[in-house]
Amino acid sequence: MRLAVVIHLVGVLVRLFGIMVFLPALVAALYHEWTDAAGFLATALGTLALGEGMRMAGGPRSQAAAERLRRVEGMSVVAGTWILMAHVAAVPYIWAGLGFIDALFESMSGLTTTGATVFRDFDAFGRGIFFWRSMTQWLGGMGVIALFVAVLPRLAIGGRELFFAEASGPTDEKLTPQIRQTAMVLWRLYAVLTAAEVIALLGAGMSLFDAVCHAMTTLAAGGFSPNPASLAGYSPAVQWVILVFMILAGVNFALQVRVARGGHGRALLHDEEFRAYLGAILAATVLLVPFLMVNGTSLAAAIRHGLFQTVSIITTTGYASEDFNLWSDQAKVVLLALMFIGGSAGSAAGGPKVVRHVLMARYTLRELRRTLHPRAVLPVKLGGRVVPDQTMREVVVFMLFYILTFAIGATIVIALGADLVTGITASAATIGNVGPGFSAVGPMGHFADLHPISKIVLTLEMWIGRLEVLTVLVLFRGEIWRSARWQSE
Amino acid sequence: MRIIIVGGGEVGFGLAQALSLRHEVIVIDQASEAADRFDKLDIEFIVGGGTTAETLRRAGIDRADIIIACTGLDEVNIVACGMAHQLGSPQTICFVSREDFLGLSEQREGLERFGIDRVVWPEAQLADDIERIVATPGAIDAEVFEQGAIRLVEYRLDSDSPLIEQTLAELRLPPGSLLVAVRRGDTFFIPRGDTRLMAGDKAIVMGTAAAMTEVQRRVTPAAGTGRQRVTIIGGGDVGLRLAERLDAMKGMELRIIEREQKRGEMLAARLRHALVLNGDGTDLGLLEAEDIGRSDVLVSVIDNDEKNLLASLLGRQLGVRRIITRVSKPANLRLFERVGVDVALSARGAAVASVLHQVEGGQASLLAVLEEGEGRILEVQVPPQHDGRTLRELDPPRDSIVGAILRPDKAIVPHGTDRLGSGDRLLVFCTRGAADQVRTFFSPRR
Repeated sequence: MRLAVVIHLVGVLVRLFGIMVFLPALVAALYHEWTDAAGFLATALGTLALGEGMRMAGGPRSQAAAERLRRVEGMSVVAGTWILMAHVAAVPYIWAGLGFIDALFESMSGLTTTGATVFRDFDAFGRGIFFWRSMTQWLGGMGVIALFVAVLPRLAIGGRELFFAEASGPTDEKLTPQIRQTAMVLWRLYAVLTAAEVIALLGAGMSLFDAVCHAMTTLAAGGFSPNPASLAGYSPAVQWVILVFMILAGVNFALQVRVARGGHGRALLHDEEFRAYLGAILAATVLLVPFLMVNGTSLAAAIRHGLFQTVSIITTTGYASEDFNLWSDQAKVVLLALMFIGGSAGSAAGGPKVVRHVLMARYTLRELRRTLHPRAVLPVKLGGRVVPDQTMREVVVFMLFYILTFAIGATIVIALGADLVTGITASAATIGNVGPGFSAVGPMGHFADLHPISKIVLTLEMWIGRLEVLTVLVLFRGEIWRSARWQSE
Repeated sequence: MRIIIVGGGEVGFGLAQALSLRHEVIVIDQASEAADRFDKLDIEFIVGGGTTAETLRRAGIDRADIIIACTGLDEVNIVACGMAHQLGSPQTICFVSREDFLGLSEQREGLERFGIDRVVWPEAQLADDIERIVATPGAIDAEVFEQGAIRLVEYRLDSDSPLIEQTLAELRLPPGSLLVAVRRGDTFFIPRGDTRLMAGDKAIVMGTAAAMTEVQRRVTPAAGTGRQRVTIIGGGDVGLRLAERLDAMKGMELRIIEREQKRGEMLAARLRHALVLNGDGTDLGLLEAEDIGRSDVLVSVIDNDEKNLLASLLGRQLGVRRIITRVSKPANLRLFERVGVDVALSARGAAVASVLHQVEGGQASLLAVLEEGEGRILEVQVPPQHDGRTLRELDPPRDSIVGAILRPDKAIVPHGTDRLGSGDRLLVFCTRGAADQVRTFFSPRR
């Protein structure tokens, strides 16, 4: 690994991120929140300086070397950029009065589209801050680096490694031969859908500020809401609009582009992951409705809340249409299970992803069949194509590390004083980038009262979950650092 | 006619043997060893490449009427036809064996660009034949005509068959069906009203689709319910094509045994439901472990007669009900059926017969060959001199029978009282010996 190249590229990317921070400064100024505006402005300028410094520190030779990016360097750049962006994004929160650990938690929760919050009192913060919270989720949903790959011609070649190191799910499909084109097409669709949601929400009676903030966090499958009661504070019409766009946020965006281009929905129903995704949503809703009706909820309301919460959790958005922490344990365990499924590969959703579950199930069935037919040739297939063994191995390893990281996180949080339900759901909701859990960290609660070390652990889990475990964990291999050099050998 | 055959293999030899009686035949082959076989035939043998202009000129390509390219390599055959097309103006017949060139036979334009008039794909024909037989319970041969409106099925009658020990008149086959031929030992004849079917006979029945369903019920009352278990041994060109067809059918439990690991992986990738087993079809341990004996049909299509026979006999030993085997050397056909294979089919045999017919051709076209070429289905046009006659008045040549009348709107299996019109086409069943007479009989008289 060539450190100069990594630092140079992280600098380039962070500098671009700095430019983004001018936008919330503008919004804060619009609402006459001058202190916050100054904070954002300072952050933007500081980030630009930092990025430029790192870019120059990498040296002039790094620019050319960046075109021949190695896989491990790509992973380091992505992981490094993400952790640095989280720190940068935390500065406005510190400026607004949060402690360092809380601020980092909130900004990581934003960028990774988790949606877990440490805000105790929403009235203590201005609109600029809420806009910034939503905006970080919007950027993180489709992928900040994917955006930079789309706008930076210089990343044309090295961008390939960066794009796939950040992308979610085990697929590496490209819509176009050039990765830059692909990133651009995906970001364009994402922006169009967001604009469509803003209009739909305005039509359903939301204010412009709320509509923009919610649209950004819906399409990103993020779940931050400027309203302390989340979506429970809005009308059923608004909830239905949000529901539709949440479902879209959990579908592979590349697939959506292909359907939009082809003009017919057949490709959609031929996609095995999409079918499994819809099947999971329907099954969970059917399970939830009777559990909700036990307490005297009407059928219509039970369907709305059952479907909303199912979609909100499986897409790892984390919105609440009512306080599901008050639901029965029967209903809550369904939601907990959904946290471990996640949305589709190539979508904005987090979690292990539907396709990995499909592949794991087929892999298991394959091994069962092999005991009956020891001589059979049994490839694992998806959509009629054979899944390479390499991909299959990565899926299995991903699942193992995912569960392991979750378990370690839950253990630490519980050992540091949280109750069992809080600890388990906090860990599951952060590594899955869901957001709220149950009990103390429920949808109407917050993570602020957890032990500081617990908050750091959960912050790390968000980072690991968003970058899909392996991109981060590979950096903990000693040999990478032992063989690291400043410039190429 | 002057006929050039490129390729002196099994197919080339078969063609040369049959054509040399009446035509001027030149065989071109790279290998001089191949010449020995052709010594006893009255032909000219040229050692050289069929794709070089010099060799083709030496064979007199400018005066040739037909060139048949039948080497084992598709590319060579295609190029040979293209060269011939440029050097002279013969009719070109091209043999292919792989799927890559299937596109050719579907797009006439593509064929013309290569200078090919007709493509013969023996492996595909064989796979199609086997598919039809597998799909017809109890059948040992099956053909369809007119997009399935008319079907022909050959049955072997066992001692417990409901059809035996009765005269044809007593049998009362369903209306729309017709018993066209019977094979008994070495004789092959067209039955009359007083013919009595016996155990061991093979009966060939022709009929409309609806009538054949009824016949099927009469002949094999037990079959046709539930799942069919089929095992294919050998995943080569024929095996893959057959497997793909059967894989798409409902209620089919398909296994395919392939020896080579890589090929097996390819098969498994292409097939949705079939179970691909990596192993040797003659490995008794594997056959027993996979319970192959419970198969309804075993199809052995390895490209090696000895292995096919061994695999088939092992299958029979394990209790498989019906066994279909591919035969490469036409001489082995009889032998295979004698030792217990239910259906022995030769890809090359059928292909040679169809090419021969095209060369000898005339007005009638050959639609199918049965019983190793002893029985034939010809399609003819009703000539003016027979217009308006009933079938009873027609009096066709001995050893031939009109099996079906095809009209633009429908296809019927006729009675004696049905009247022929000049626009009608007929499906005529005849023995090998009667084929020439049938062609003459249905030619327009000047």
